[in-house]
Amino acid sequence: MQREEKQLEATLHAILNRVNDLKAAIQALITKLETEYETINWPTFLDNYAILSGHLTGLSKILQNELAPSLRSVVVLPLQLGCERDEELARLTEGRVPACTHDLVPDLLRTKPEPQAEQRLQQLNHKASTLSYDTAQKQVAQFTKVVSHVWEIISKGREDWEGESMRSAGIQPTHSIADTHALVTAVGTGKGLRPGMPPIGPGVGTPGMGPTRGPTPQMGPAAPTMPKAPSAIKTNIKAANQIHPYQR
Amino acid sequence: MAANAAPITATDSLSQALKANIIPNQEYLLQGSVLDSAVEVLLHRLRGLCDNVDAGPETFDDQEVCFSLRDPNQQSTPLTLRVRKALDARDMPYQLRYIGQPDLGDKNRPTVVRSSLDIACSGMLIEFLNELGCRIEFEYSVKGYMFRKGRMKITVAKVFKISQSSMPPEPISQSYLVELSVLAPQGQDAIGEDMRAFADQLRPLVQLDKIDYKRLGHMSVT
Repeated sequence: MQREEKQLEATLHAILNRVNDLKAAIQALITKLETEYETINWPTFLDNYAILSGHLTGLSKILQNELAPSLRSVVVLPLQLGCERDEELARLTEGRVPACTHDLVPDLLRTKPEPQAEQRLQQLNHKASTLSYDTAQKQVAQFTKVVSHVWEIISKGREDWEGESMRSAGIQPTHSIADTHALVTAVGTGKGLRPGMPPIGPGVGTPGMGPTRGPTPQMGPAAPTMPKAPSAIKTNIKAANQIHPYQR
Repeated sequence: MAANAAPITATDSLSQALKANIIPNQEYLLQGSVLDSAVEVLLHRLRGLCDNVDAGPETFDDQEVCFSLRDPNQQSTPLTLRVRKALDARDMPYQLRYIGQPDLGDKNRPTVVRSSLDIACSGMLIEFLNELGCRIEFEYSVKGYMFRKGRMKITVAKVFKISQSSMPPEPISQSYLVELSVLAPQGQDAIGEDMRAFADQLRPLVQLDKIDYKRLGHMSVT
């Protein structure tokens, strides 16, 4: 007997914890909605629903647990109802239930839906079962059509938007690696800058290189053109000296 | 009494500065280029990022001549010296510059590092170099814009080939050369990270990178 009582207490304690968690989550959600509705980040707000559903799953798991059946055999018997304000009850419920009245108790201890709601549910169930297969199929098709239409509008809008942002980012390149290399080699080694040499192109590689640079006829793979090179450079240097802006 | 003490010579103060490692003789460098069509966008962005924006971008128009001095007894790499002269400010001194071999280091090093020594000179410099036996290797002119961001210097410039006749100078390519550099004393490698961060802000407009022009030269030969 004592063991069962203990078990019941533990189960109740667990349920209470879960319900409190759920209550806190809902409170946070409402506060957020009331105080930050102008600046709220909706995607993170949606995460709150995920938290709520997590708590609900936890709660239902406890209720489904094998410890739960003992709860079924426990009876709650309302002994006395009254219209007077019960301070203790108000404190326990954080001011939501000031008195154990005839108005509230049926709702609080309800195990079945309200008769009105039950009736409407039955009506709807009846309507659904009597619906012909063709009509149902038709309605489903119509609904699918509407949804796919909305989907199309949204995806077209997204495409336009993304295309625009792509275009503003610049589809055409703003730099060229070949140009970078040409410029850096020109400034670094004088490739394409030497007087009397054709601009950058095939066959003029050797003069750009450090050790093989300049008029050293015995070096470099471009041997056939080398004997000419020294004289060409010399005359050009002279010519350059004459118009040289540094010369005084 | 003080007159008897040996006067501090320029050599003394130089060796002292060398010992204290306060001479900014290392250049940290990143290079890239931007197409002519996109240079306005880049300049606009640089104006937003850099310090000297109040007076508008600073322009420059320089001519650079590269001299080489080779030792006749050795086949080693000749010594190269660069002389720079501002064409738009004729009263400014000539700049003589020595640039060492670029050191790219490994992948973790953010920038090229090369030793660099600058000195201002008078107009006699060219004659002096000629007398020393230096010969002109090549020359070019650079015209463009200069920006500052803290210690960093950013230049965006067009490189021109100097024409022998009265023809207008001919640009090397359809792009502007973009350089990001800092001169610092040895061992201040932290600046490289700052430069990387700054270079990242210019992407994808310009891709500033460590570029080894020596290896590029080899690639074009083979």
